[in-house]
Amino acid sequence: MKKYSLKYILVAAAAILAVIFPFITGEYYRHLAILTLMYAVLALSWDFAARAELVSFAHTGFFGLGAYTSAVTFLKLDFPLYLSFTVAVLLTIVVAIALGYLTLRLSGIYFAIASLAFSEVLLVVALQLPKVTGGAMGISVPSLFGGMRVYCYGLILGILALAVVVSLYLERSHFHLAFSAMRTSPSVASVLGVNTVRYRLSSFTLSAIFSCLAGAFYVHYTTTTIPYEAFNLNIGVASMVMAVLGGLYSTVGPVLGAIVLKIIEEYMRVTIPYGYMIIYGLLLVAGILFLPKGLVGVQNKWKFLK
Amino acid sequence: MYAGQLFGQALVNGILVSGIYALAASGLALAFGVVKFLNLAHGEFLMLAAYFGIIVFSTYGLDPLLMTPVVFILFFILGAAYYKALVKPVLKAGELNQLLLTFGISIFLQNLALLIFGGTIRTISVPYRTHTISFWGINFGTARLFILLLSIVLLVLLYQVLQRTRVGRSIRAVSQEPEGAALVGIDSESVYLIALGIAVGFASVAGMMLSIIFQAEPMVGFNFTLKGLAVVVMAGLGNVYGVIWASLLLGITESFIGVFLPNGTGWSGAIFFLMILGGLVVRQSRVRTI
Repeated sequence: MKKYSLKYILVAAAAILAVIFPFITGEYYRHLAILTLMYAVLALSWDFAARAELVSFAHTGFFGLGAYTSAVTFLKLDFPLYLSFTVAVLLTIVVAIALGYLTLRLSGIYFAIASLAFSEVLLVVALQLPKVTGGAMGISVPSLFGGMRVYCYGLILGILALAVVVSLYLERSHFHLAFSAMRTSPSVASVLGVNTVRYRLSSFTLSAIFSCLAGAFYVHYTTTTIPYEAFNLNIGVASMVMAVLGGLYSTVGPVLGAIVLKIIEEYMRVTIPYGYMIIYGLLLVAGILFLPKGLVGVQNKWKFLK
Repeated sequence: MYAGQLFGQALVNGILVSGIYALAASGLALAFGVVKFLNLAHGEFLMLAAYFGIIVFSTYGLDPLLMTPVVFILFFILGAAYYKALVKPVLKAGELNQLLLTFGISIFLQNLALLIFGGTIRTISVPYRTHTISFWGINFGTARLFILLLSIVLLVLLYQVLQRTRVGRSIRAVSQEPEGAALVGIDSESVYLIALGIAVGFASVAGMMLSIIFQAEPMVGFNFTLKGLAVVVMAGLGNVYGVIWASLLLGITESFIGVFLPNGTGWSGAIFFLMILGGLVVRQSRVRTI
């Protein structure tokens, strides 16, 4: 029992710290914390897809799709905030199922290729439909909750909490067994009666929903975006590096990865501008070659948290 | 310009750029077909070669097309080193690791180029860059014509090597039946090394060409990876021979969309995605398992 209690104490401490954080710090740290939580949502959502052995490059696309759908419905159709988020999520579900239906039956390589192209093509669409999206000039919305950072923090913390709940459900339900079987051997899994296509499709759709929510939050929080920012490949890159480095196939890993990398990134952004994406590339390579289980794996080696 | 002439011009433009697509994509297809490895950093070698060509041209004034053999050899060695140092360790690991590793390398090289060369667009202004020849009112860019011819020569050379030489037969054997090839004494290690060397070498030649007829910038390699993937998916993953018609289709479609659709040059950047989806739908219909 003793080893479990330490784990629960740590989790409870982290949760309490997450809740009181905006009240004990200033605006700058609040802003940083909000972006960190947003990336934690993205990293966790990327991991949802990775659990089904899918390498998704589509997260950039869903982030931008969420941002633009929510901003456009909010501005042009005067939808209230919650409705604009809902429309964004519904559209994402439709697109994710369509993309998944076309690609998930084939080998994972085809899915990776199609998802990579998907994000790029949405960028082209956003640039080419200036009447809807504002084109290269971008789109602006009024600031979220009148710019009250504490409420923004609450909203993104809520989205992260939802993602964590989904993640824990995936870890503890039949999904977990199906995912493990599929990662070990897809053909054996399907012979055993695991409907691999359906599991892949549901994990991909779930992961798309949370990227979309992060995007929708992002545009209302920063109040303005342009296609080259909302569909920037670096968003997807950051979320996969955070998940890989933190530890794949876990709930703690991606969140931990997001916190660590966001702190490093912020430090480097101050010291060397531009350079930090190089570090992201290097970390991805190093993570794959030397740290296959991520930071969580290192922690497990020390045993005391397991 | 009347409609027929416009049609002819669009067709010619499409054919002229498809050579460079075929060169870039054949490397990608070769690496996938033989090593069973999808190299997402393929385009970055193209980008590096483009900058290499620009630097050599601006310092020594050497024509990039004349440098082709030297650059091919240099990048062949680079590709072999790339295989030894980075590809080999993850070859036995799953797809996930391979894709993430090569993607990480791609991101690293893109941003390294951005840091060193900046985001500005660069070109090589060879004397014949803007020179054109006209037949029946249709303009053929001289540089583009040279480049198409060089691509054809190189592709024919590649096919001859694959068909007629001992190395080529080993490459095909490993690609078709790795275990069988190992049983008859083919060293798959060196075949992989050569295949990836050729793939990166071809990418580098395409990169030199690119700096003459298009322009070099840090993201250009990534765009070529995407277009190369579209070609490779249409041709069938790993099919080196199907690359020719798939490249022609991509080049010509892009050109027609650019000419005939309102605001078409922007949309032509989205064609590759439709090609990927189209290729997948065709392949999908053949999968009857689930």
